[in-house]
Amino acid sequence: MRRVLALGAACLAVIGLGACGGHSGRPGLTISAAASLKSAFTRYAQAFKAADVRLSFAGSDVLAAQIEQGFRPDVFASANMALPQKLYARGLVSKPVAFAANRLVLAVPASSTKVKSVGDVERPGVSLGIGSPTVPIGSYTRTVLSRLGPRAQAQVLANVRSDEPDVSGIVGKLSQGALDAGFTYLTDVTATHGALRAIALPPNLQPTVAYGVAIVNGSSQRAQAQQFIAGLLRGSGERALRSAGFLRPRG
Amino acid sequence: MLRAELEHSLGVLMLDVTLELRPGRTLALAGPSGAGKTTILRMLAGVATPACGRIVHGEDVWLDSRGGVCWAPERRRCGYVVQDYALFPHLSAWRNVAYPLRELPRRERRARALSLLERFGITALADERPQRLSGGERQRLALARALAVDPALLLLDEPLSALDPRTRAGAMRTLAAALRDLDVPAVLVTHDWAQAVHLSDEVAVIDHGRIVQRGTATELAGTPANAFVADFTGAVVLTGVVRARTGELTEVELDGGGSVLSTVGTGNGRVAVSLYPWEITISRGTGGPVESAQNRLRARIATMTTVGNRVRLALEAGQPLVAELTAKASRELELAVGTEVIASWKATATRLTAL
Amino acid sequence: MRTNRWFALALGLALCVTLVFLALPVVAVFTHTAPRALFHSLGDAATVDALRLSLTTTAIAVAIIVVIGTPAAFLLATRRFAGRSLLLTLIELPLVLPPAVAGIGLLAAVGPGGILGGVLRGAHVQLVLETAGVVVALTFVAAPFYIRQAHAAFEAVPASLRDASRTLGSGEAATFLRVALPVALPGLLAGLALAWGRAVGEFGATLMFAGSLRGVTQTAPLAIYDRFASDFPGALALSAILVAVSACLLLTIKLFGGWGIAGAAR
Repeated sequence: MRRVLALGAACLAVIGLGACGGHSGRPGLTISAAASLKSAFTRYAQAFKAADVRLSFAGSDVLAAQIEQGFRPDVFASANMALPQKLYARGLVSKPVAFAANRLVLAVPASSTKVKSVGDVERPGVSLGIGSPTVPIGSYTRTVLSRLGPRAQAQVLANVRSDEPDVSGIVGKLSQGALDAGFTYLTDVTATHGALRAIALPPNLQPTVAYGVAIVNGSSQRAQAQQFIAGLLRGSGERALRSAGFLRPRG
Repeated sequence: MLRAELEHSLGVLMLDVTLELRPGRTLALAGPSGAGKTTILRMLAGVATPACGRIVHGEDVWLDSRGGVCWAPERRRCGYVVQDYALFPHLSAWRNVAYPLRELPRRERRARALSLLERFGITALADERPQRLSGGERQRLALARALAVDPALLLLDEPLSALDPRTRAGAMRTLAAALRDLDVPAVLVTHDWAQAVHLSDEVAVIDHGRIVQRGTATELAGTPANAFVADFTGAVVLTGVVRARTGELTEVELDGGGSVLSTVGTGNGRVAVSLYPWEITISRGTGGPVESAQNRLRARIATMTTVGNRVRLALEAGQPLVAELTAKASRELELAVGTEVIASWKATATRLTAL
Repeated sequence: MRTNRWFALALGLALCVTLVFLALPVVAVFTHTAPRALFHSLGDAATVDALRLSLTTTAIAVAIIVVIGTPAAFLLATRRFAGRSLLLTLIELPLVLPPAVAGIGLLAAVGPGGILGGVLRGAHVQLVLETAGVVVALTFVAAPFYIRQAHAAFEAVPASLRDASRTLGSGEAATFLRVALPVALPGLLAGLALAWGRAVGEFGATLMFAGSLRGVTQTAPLAIYDRFASDFPGALALSAILVAVSACLLLTIKLFGGWGIAGAAR
C-alpha cells in the first residue's frame, strides 16, 4: 500500500513539474500564428522578455475557426488580412495591423531540373502541391492561377496532387521528393537552408501578401500583447522577421 | 503388432521405455502423475517426438530417429482420446464424429457417424454441441470419434478421470466392452489401479519414466518387483454374483467357488469384491471360527515375495488372492510355497461395486 | 459495511464519468447543429467523395491485413522459435507510434527519397499522393490491431484441439482451416473491428504520406479537417455520418461474432 502511495506522489510531482515548464514568474502569452511564421516567431519569442511566449502554429484558417469556436489566445497572427478582419467584424479581435509582407514563389527541390519556370507547371505529368482553398497560401495561389488565364489555369489545376491544410505540408513533401513543385512563401524556401530552390513569379502574377496581427478580445495580457505586436513593427520581432526573409508591410 | 522404443528427457524426467503389444490386446500404463505416461501416448500418436526412438506398427515404420523417418500424426491413424476429450466446440456431435471422414460423400458420412453414435447410445444427441453434453456423454462421443478413423492403434489417456464416481461405473462397462470388441492394440493410461485391472489384459507400471514391471494384474499384485509396485497395486479384485441378503449382510457367491459376506448393501447381479491385501489374515489350521472375521477361504500359497519387511503371498483359491503380512509373522507361521492356509477377513472390509 | 458502500459508490461514479466523457463528444456531433443543416451537407459531392474514398481504402486495407495477418498470427501463436517475443514486439510497435511518426517512417521507407524509393520508381509504382499510398498508410497503422487480437485468439485455441485434429487425419493446413480458424473466429472478428475502426480514423500518417486531394487521397477525416475552418456544419455532418457508419459496422461485427471486444480480450 505504501508503495502505491509513493508511486502516486511521484507521478503527481512529475506532472506538476511538467506543467510548470519554464515558469519563471513571468506572465504567459499565447500566440496563434500562421505556419509560415514558425522560425521567425520562435526566434522572437526567445528574445521577448516581457512574457513567457507560448506559440501555436497551424493554417491561419484553422486558427481563425478556433477563435470563432471560443478559443482565447492572446494574439492572432495570420498570413493574410482577410481572416483577422473577418474576426474583427464579428467583434472577436481588435482592429488588425499589417506587420509583414511576403512573396509567393514556386518552390522546387534544389537538385531537381524538371521545373524551371511557372510555365513548366502547365505541362502534363508534373506533380504540384498547393494549399487548400481556405488557407491563405491556397487562396493566394488561386489568385495567381486565375491571372494565368482560363486554359493555363485549368492545366495547372489538373497537375495539383494535394490540397494541403497548411504550407508546411507542401514544404515537407517537396523536401521528400514527393512533389515536383509547390506554391509556397519565399520565407519557407529560405527556412529549408538550401533543400529547396525558389523560382520567382513574374510581377504580374505576384499577389499582395500582407500578414495581419490582432489582439484577441478577452485576453488578460493586453499590455504584453501590445508590447509583442509593437516589437513586430520595430524591435527584436522586426529583426527576426527580417532575417527570416519577410518584407516590410506595404502602406 | 506394435513395438516401440522411446528415449527422451523432459526436464527432470528421463523417459526410457520399450513396449510391445499384440492386436486385440489392451495394455494399461499405470503410475503416478509425472511418470511420463501421457508423454508416451503423445509420442505413439505422433504429436510429440522423442529424442531417440523407434516405433513399428505391423509393417509400417512410424518412427526411426536414426533413419530420419517420422510419420505425421495424420498418417499414423491412431484413435487418441485425451483426458478432456478435445471435442470440437464449433461442430455438432455427429459432425465431430464425421470429422475424419472427409473423403466420403456427405450422406455416407452422416450415416457412418450416426451408426457410431448409436453404438455408444448417444444417437439422440447427434445435433447437439459438445458443450451441452454431460461428462459421460462427452466421453462416449470422444470414443466414437476416435473409432471413426478406423484406428490402427487406440490410445486412451485417463478415459474415466473426468467423470464423477457415479457415472464412472457405467462408463467403465461401456469402455471395457468396446475394448473387448476391438481388434487393434490399445494402450490405456491411468493412475487408478482398479481401472487398470478392469480394462486391460496387461499392466505396465511406470515410475519416473521407466517401466518397473509388466504383467497381468494378478502377477503384479502377487509378485511385485519392488515396494513401489506393491504399494501401487492396491486392492485385490474378485468377481462374483450377489446371492442373498440376510439381515444387514450381503452374500456374494464368488466365481470359481466360495462365498463372502459384505456389509455393503448393493443391488443384485454381478459385483466386484475388493479388499486390500493387508486386511487379510492368514492362519494355518482347520477349525471353525476363532475370531470375528466372517469371511474365510481355503487357499494354497502359490508364491511368496519379500518386499522390505513385508511378505506378499499370492494365494490360489477359487480366484487369485493376495495377502500381505509382516516377515516376522510369515516366519512364525512357517509359511512356504504350497502350504495350505486359511485366508480370512472381515465383512466390514469387503467392498462391493456393481459391475 | 460502510466501506463497501463507499467503494461501490466510487466505482459507480468512475463509470458515470467515463460514460459521459466518452459519449458526450459523440452525442454533441449530432445535436450541435440543426438536422436540416446536417442533411443538406450530406448532398455535397465532396462529402460523398470523401466517404466513398474512406470506405474503399479501409476495405482494401482491412482485406490485406486479414489475408496476410491471419496466417502470420497463427504462426506466431502456434510455433515457438527463437526471437518470437522480439518479433511480436516489433509487430506491435506501430500501436504505440504517433501517427505523425508513422507518416515520417513511411516516407523514409517507401517515399520517393526513401530506402525503397529507387526500387519502387524502377517498378513504376507510385505510392505518395496516390490512393495506393492511402491504403499503405492505413495498412501500416491498423495491422497491429488485428494481428495482436488474432494472435491472442489463436493462442486461446487449446493445443489439444489441434492435436486431436491431426490424429483424426487432418494435416496442418486442414487443421488451420477446419479447427483453428472457426474456433478463433470471434476473436478474429473483434480484431477486424478494431483494425477497421483505426483505419477509418487515420489522419496524420495519411496526410503526411499521401497528401490530401479530393477523390484521390482526401479521406473522411482529412475532409473534416479541411472544412473545419470554412464550413463547421459540413464538418459536423461528415463527422455524424462517420459515427453512424462506424457504429453500424461495430454492431454488425458484434452480432455476427457473438462476442464483444471485451470478450475477445479475455
